[in-house]
Amino acid sequence: MKLWQYLRLSAYETTLLAVFAGLFLLFSLTAPNFLSAANFRSMMVQLPELGLISLGMMAVVLTAGIDLSITFTAALSGIALAWCLSHGWPIPAAMLAGLVTALLCGAFNGVFIAGMRISPIVMTLGTMILYEGIALQFTKGGSISGFPEAYSVIGSGSVAGIPVPMLIFTGAILLTAILLNRTAWGRSVYMIGSNPTAAEFSGIRVRSVLMGVYLFSALMAALAAVIMTSRYNSAKVDYGSSYLLKSVATIVLGGVSIQGGAGTVKGVVLGAAIFQILSSALNLYGLSPHLVDVLTGTVLIFVLAVNLLNQKWKRAPRTRVPPPPEATEAKVPASR
Amino acid sequence: MKVRLGKESGIFIVLLALFVALSFISPVFLTADNLIDLVRTNVVLGILAIGMTIVILIGGIDVSVGAMTAAVTVLLGYFTVAFGFQPLVALLVSIAGGTLLGLINGLLVTKIRVHAIVVTLGTLSIYSGFTMYVTGGSWINNLPAEFIEFGRIRLLGFVPIQILFLLAVALATWFMLRHLHIGRAIYALGGSPVAAERSGIDTARVQQFVYAYMGFLAGVAAFVHTSIYRQVDPNAFTGFELQVIAAVVLGGASIMGGRGSVWGSLLGVALLALIGNGLTLARISSFWHKVIIGLFIVIAVSFDIWQRKRQERRMAKIDVMG
Repeated sequence: MKLWQYLRLSAYETTLLAVFAGLFLLFSLTAPNFLSAANFRSMMVQLPELGLISLGMMAVVLTAGIDLSITFTAALSGIALAWCLSHGWPIPAAMLAGLVTALLCGAFNGVFIAGMRISPIVMTLGTMILYEGIALQFTKGGSISGFPEAYSVIGSGSVAGIPVPMLIFTGAILLTAILLNRTAWGRSVYMIGSNPTAAEFSGIRVRSVLMGVYLFSALMAALAAVIMTSRYNSAKVDYGSSYLLKSVATIVLGGVSIQGGAGTVKGVVLGAAIFQILSSALNLYGLSPHLVDVLTGTVLIFVLAVNLLNQKWKRAPRTRVPPPPEATEAKVPASR
Repeated sequence: MKVRLGKESGIFIVLLALFVALSFISPVFLTADNLIDLVRTNVVLGILAIGMTIVILIGGIDVSVGAMTAAVTVLLGYFTVAFGFQPLVALLVSIAGGTLLGLINGLLVTKIRVHAIVVTLGTLSIYSGFTMYVTGGSWINNLPAEFIEFGRIRLLGFVPIQILFLLAVALATWFMLRHLHIGRAIYALGGSPVAAERSGIDTARVQQFVYAYMGFLAGVAAFVHTSIYRQVDPNAFTGFELQVIAAVVLGGASIMGGRGSVWGSLLGVALLALIGNGLTLARISSFWHKVIIGLFIVIAVSFDIWQRKRQERRMAKIDVMG
């Protein structure tokens, strides 16, 4: 196995890493308590939620789709899980119920998008409202709590000093990387994103691949739901709804092309990490969370603008977002 | 001769059925008070849906409408509290504020050349974050009495003044799309950007115009909204963009661009309004509203696709026989 090849960064990813390192250094020197154990812990607990949602969103966007319903899939899954827990189900059974709920949401999206070729934006806009409605109807706008003591271990426990959410996230990163880079399904995902017609004619079963993509994003939503319910010790409709915007911003920052076909897991993880230290540090500075929103949007637009200038500079004729040739190693092998 | 049923007439039939059903279910529904109130509370949604229609027509999307409108209501609130209320000046301030925000969107969309959903997600975050930071989330309750009086004006004794704004916006936009050069350019751009460019349309300028127009209407909507509710809640439009997009999609516009109309979108708004009003009158828990609206979108869109596929198949058959 040429493991080192997977760790090699493209030019764009190196830039991201440099930005991350630069911000890290800056905040270490200027933000009060940035280097404290408490801050590190809280960052490592918060990062996985955004990270998991972003990984799910990434897989969908790679096929030139989008999943606007992902955060409410997570909410609904968390509510199902919480309901089971508070009705005395054993923890694994409740988690399974949450997973099944999420997968049903994903399958519903998939049936219409893959089966009927409905535009993903419209379909997931509809199901976003639908899932939110079901969750609201179920909880009547309130929250569900009353979990067994043992369940809180997921959100607040740690193994060998590493918080459990971080371990789950690491597992999910590896799973996503393997699925996207080492399987036929993953290759098909990239191909459908870059040219759906060519993909179809080259014998890829577009429907089942797309279905898989929406199930995958539901799986990531379910994992995020487990962490969220455990961390808040309750479930509510709007937990996690702020991650929708942030996850799109994260993957775009991470170099995923919104038109599909290009993007790497490494980039997305770096993107999530940058947003996390940014929001933690601004919080430590005592900045209003609303200004953090302003800054998130500004960073997103700034990155897009820099990407564009970078492309123009290289005089590349309108290529996709991460232009460096190294990025293609994650794509379908070009020479065949 | 066969009557061709377009998407709009399909919605119209659903709307009519809903209307008749509601008149039977609830004695309150078919009263002038309820109907006028229904229109009045949906004027803002209507104005924004008209703007969103032309954004979607060119194959774009603007998810920052809610944030733009909220920002302008706050601007308008501060302005009238500080300088008093004069209808024309207040309207101009709203329009200027909205158009400025729309121009920023347009500038970014045309310059960055990334799908509009990403760019406007960014500006959504910026506009709403800024609005919340400035207000601290608190309401503006001390609007001048003249403003409150203005909002209560009823033309001919029964038509709320707000409805006039919706009518003006609808007619102006319809006229623009139908009879002005820019309108044809908008449809051309939505139908095929490449063909539009080759036929000499300055696509960047059309895009710029469309996003600015959306901002302009957000300004009008903010003015109308404030005149209805007589106070400013910076949170009032959180998530409102989804309702706006839902109305346009229900109204038969294609999210890929090129298809959609002012009247269709207004029918979409009417459908959303009737569903909401009907559920309330039928005493169905408001928690069901979103479930039903979500289902409606899914059904409407899949029905549309199903119908188009059937049509395509029929056309293919004719080809073979011809």
